[in-house]
Amino acid sequence: MVSETETVNENEERKLKFGLFLGCNITFNRPDVEQAMRKIFPALGVELDDLAGQSCCPTWGTMPSIDDVGWCAVAARNLCLGEEKGIDLMTACNTCYASLNEARHKMLKNPEIMNSVNEILAKIGRKYEGKAKCRHVTWVLYKDIGLEKLRESIKYTLDGLTIAVQPGCHFLWPSEVYPDREKDPFNPVVLRELCEALGAEAPYYTKLIDCCGIGALRSTDPGKSFALAKDKLECIKEELDADLIVAGCCSCMIQFDDVQDKLRKEGKINFSIPVLHYVQLLAICMGFDPQQVAGICVTPRDEIIKRILEGGKR
Amino acid sequence: MTAEDKPRIGVYICHCGENIAGAVDVEEVRKFAEKLPDVVVARDYLFMCSDPGQEIIKEDIRKGLVNRVVVAACTPRTHEPIFRKACEDAGLNKYYFEMANIRDQCSWAHWHEKEKATEKAKLLVAAAVAKARLLEPLEDRYVELNKDVMVLGGGIAGIFAALDLANAGFKVYLVEKSPSIGGNMAKLDKTFPTNDCSACILTPLMVEVANHPNVELITYAEVESVDGTVGNFKVKVRKKQTYVDWDKCTGCGACLNVCPPKARVPDEYNEGLSTRGAIYIAFPQAVPKKAVIDPDACIRCGGRWFGEEPRKTKDGKPILAPCEKVCPTGACSRDEPRDPNGELIELNVGSIIVATGYRVMDKKHFKEYAPDSPNVITALQMERLISATGPTEGKLIVPSDIPKYLEWKKKIEKGKEAELEARKPHVITFVSCVGSRDERYHTYCSKVCCMYMLKQAMLLKEKYPDLEIYISFIDVRTPGKDFDEYYMRCRKLGIKIIKGKIGGVQRLPDERLLVKGYDAELGRPVELISDIVVLATAMEPNMDLKELARKLGISVGAEGFLKERHTKLYPVDTMTEGIFICGCAQGPKDIPDSVAQAKAAAASAMSLLAPGKMKVEPLISEVDQEKCIGCGICENLCPYGAITLVEVNGSRKSKINETLCKGCGVCAAACPSKAITLHGFTYEQVLAQIRTIAAKKVVEV
Amino acid sequence: MELAEEGVPPVINLTELAEKEKEEFEEKVSELIIEFGAENLMACMQCGACASICPLARTGFEWYNKKLIKAILVGMREELLDDMTPWACVACNRCTEICPRNVTPFEVMLAMRRLMVEDFALPTLTIEGLRSLYEHGHAVYMTGREARKKVGLPEKPPTTDSDEKALQELKTILKNTKLAELGLIPME
Repeated sequence: MVSETETVNENEERKLKFGLFLGCNITFNRPDVEQAMRKIFPALGVELDDLAGQSCCPTWGTMPSIDDVGWCAVAARNLCLGEEKGIDLMTACNTCYASLNEARHKMLKNPEIMNSVNEILAKIGRKYEGKAKCRHVTWVLYKDIGLEKLRESIKYTLDGLTIAVQPGCHFLWPSEVYPDREKDPFNPVVLRELCEALGAEAPYYTKLIDCCGIGALRSTDPGKSFALAKDKLECIKEELDADLIVAGCCSCMIQFDDVQDKLRKEGKINFSIPVLHYVQLLAICMGFDPQQVAGICVTPRDEIIKRILEGGKR
Repeated sequence: MTAEDKPRIGVYICHCGENIAGAVDVEEVRKFAEKLPDVVVARDYLFMCSDPGQEIIKEDIRKGLVNRVVVAACTPRTHEPIFRKACEDAGLNKYYFEMANIRDQCSWAHWHEKEKATEKAKLLVAAAVAKARLLEPLEDRYVELNKDVMVLGGGIAGIFAALDLANAGFKVYLVEKSPSIGGNMAKLDKTFPTNDCSACILTPLMVEVANHPNVELITYAEVESVDGTVGNFKVKVRKKQTYVDWDKCTGCGACLNVCPPKARVPDEYNEGLSTRGAIYIAFPQAVPKKAVIDPDACIRCGGRWFGEEPRKTKDGKPILAPCEKVCPTGACSRDEPRDPNGELIELNVGSIIVATGYRVMDKKHFKEYAPDSPNVITALQMERLISATGPTEGKLIVPSDIPKYLEWKKKIEKGKEAELEARKPHVITFVSCVGSRDERYHTYCSKVCCMYMLKQAMLLKEKYPDLEIYISFIDVRTPGKDFDEYYMRCRKLGIKIIKGKIGGVQRLPDERLLVKGYDAELGRPVELISDIVVLATAMEPNMDLKELARKLGISVGAEGFLKERHTKLYPVDTMTEGIFICGCAQGPKDIPDSVAQAKAAAASAMSLLAPGKMKVEPLISEVDQEKCIGCGICENLCPYGAITLVEVNGSRKSKINETLCKGCGVCAAACPSKAITLHGFTYEQVLAQIRTIAAKKVVEV
Repeated sequence: MELAEEGVPPVINLTELAEKEKEEFEEKVSELIIEFGAENLMACMQCGACASICPLARTGFEWYNKKLIKAILVGMREELLDDMTPWACVACNRCTEICPRNVTPFEVMLAMRRLMVEDFALPTLTIEGLRSLYEHGHAVYMTGREARKKVGLPEKPPTTDSDEKALQELKTILKNTKLAELGLIPME
């Protein structure tokens, strides 16, 4: 069994390589996030594997709502795709990050679950040994690549911009299950430091760790979901007057992007703050085509992208 | 064996109310016992340990009906002495008594299996009878006791234990690890439920104990090792290096002001809300009021350490450290070298009382409560903040502005005019059960937090009626004399109670705090903005308590506090005779309880030592030197150092010191030639018990 | 309960609930919830910390974590099976992070969903998600591929969507899980 903090490809001599785990939302809703990852990682010297045949992580409303073994079996199959190649998975979606790692945690903690899962996997000729895990793009950029290399790799800087970061719940809790952990899960700094490495200000704000309200809440009761998002957006506006919201999670990004438009139309807010996933922001700063790496949005991004490209050339 | 000596065993079975009878068919056991060999009578009774119960046994002995007694009841730990005494009172040698534990080891353990429990009870009784047939009469012996007592810890508990003993004429060594006695109580502002000032009631006691002719105060010292047993403990105490000559130090404080800013470190007395120099006096009312140098903080002004030649100025004058230079008595002189290890002294005492207290948990563990914010403080820090001896002389400001206050004070002291710009709080929120009742930290309730939160809230609200004060409780726990009335007084004052645990505190940009709670009374989440958040952090065992317990040979419970011999009957005793415990070293408690326990511990030590000698059970080992082959196995094994090998008629023989032997039986079990007998647990007796249980009937050995 | 007038909250009859649990059901709700993964349910002391930061409690749902646990403990089976709160849980797990009793309130939510599933008390969208997972390997699935094309990616992602063998693997797995036993979705 590999310890929690160890990575499969720890050997510095070896080239960094990860299985790019896409999940559903990025694949179908926001493929610009996928494209951003496909651009930035090779440019940063990280090899990506497609993990051909990967599926849904599975998300909370599916197998996790049925039972542990079914949840873990679907997750384990995805993890196997990496494990068989000796690599870890990497995702830009917090749900995938949480579902895969929580499932792994359950399997490692409870041999009964692990055995039942492997009985099922045997039927498709696979076996999960608990080695491969899912890493978060945020952590890979922060820990494996490092802020210094990011600073060197960008063509445009974000000097003068203020960013409100949104690490997202499943980047933080339950901290026990994740391969990488913030020193203080109630005062996360990794995403802030990543934004600052690009030249922006990314200050703390009061509701930094509050939930965006997407997921089951939004599908069950959109009104309540939007109310939660509004609460947080207003804090971002009032405390930071942010130029940009940067999420580490694709779902949070979608939520804030969508919701602002809806709230504006309902006359509930009167501002518009563009929203990007961090990998998209990085891709733009590295000089990739914004249409490809950040071309899909509801809340307009044109102005901020223009400002970045015009204002921040180094 | 004459007919007179032949065992005539009486078996007495106790119901223990429902405790035994609830799972064991007592009548069946009685009938069974009646038929066992040498048993002449078997009786049962509701409570065998009660007066009428004991009388049944005594009557049978007096009438000559029985000459061996077996009681099948609860644990010999508490009740063997009671039944032995009953036998003795009736004229029977008390070691003709044997006990079968059919409660703790049978009925309680097998509560839902009545049949099996009854069968097991029968076996336990049969085993006891088998042993009783082989019992021998033994005589008690006496050892001399040293009547001096050592009290470890100079907080309120230690002070009271020491004073009670000293007033009764016992010599007391009061050992404290800090430079001053006073303990945590010295940091408190006022005390519940009467709100009297802590310093006003504590400092006179500190002075009294220090000046008592029967008390030798040894501060800044810790126990290094403990040898010996009850009545004759040898304790090595290490007096830490003070780097200040206490014979010369008058506590004038001249040195404190000249210690340079670079050498300043967080002040323990103010719980880190202010700083102190490397040379410091614990607090203004310290006893003894002596300065010490903290060698880790000292920056060695003048480039000189103790015993080193001073550097010289151009005109040849020695360059002295500022503290050295300013000291009017020469107590800070660095001319002589000083041993960083201090001094080791050895003291002989008959009894030891452990009153080493507790510490409060640091806020840093509780990430969900924004511990990085200076305005999130522990309750002990709040005590300092409102205390007249605190960092702001009791002026209530938000802790983030304490540096501003200290700047202002400096200016004022220099005679400059200045306006204090520190912000006053409008809202203060208390968070209960922080680290207590929490499986991540401590599962126990710290017992005093509900009351001290109420106290602090009341003091604040009475002094500043405009303050909004919220206290969050999971439950309000106020079971004490005048305690619930105290709680109601707070409610009437308009202090707002939130019934639920705070789940999160988030920093606002202006250093105020967003508090997220849940109120069970409203059945809804609640949220508020607070200037100060006070965490009622758990009381926990001192870091080195486990190590101290190991040195003393006493145990700690799972939660880390010292373990008492019996929760109800022997609350200040330990499993090691002669060592008593009191105060918060035994578990969280308030001042009244700590004082009560301290007085109980003192009284227990007194009743042990007052006779000057002590009866010791004859249940110790004896060597048959005819059989001993002098192999020395027993000498190495004895945990009490009671066995030595001596020269007898030219060959090596094992010899047991009766005073040191505790009757553990390790030597008897290990002796390859069966030369050692443990009286009361002889080879034959134990074997008879084991074989009886194995064969399920009384077996002749 | 019959006594309650319209608009007046009814008294919760604990005796009735306890008797029902004993007489009508093989297992108590609490026992089922423990079986379904909330192992530390009984350690809850109702401190409310979980509710103070719960997005559901904060947005006005009825049976958020703390209250759900209490209702389970007193056996409010029918009322809970009728309420969709557990399906709104965002799974943020902040409650799990701060729970002083290691109850993992999120696991209680999840266990409640698992109990409801057995009673077919689940939202249509959830069934839709399960069906989509089975048929495409994606709980969220879209046939339109304009977005992928627009950003310069192949229309077919390298997932079960473009890999029949992989999809069959996933189907085999799902057929061997409790999902198949429940018969919530057609699984050919």
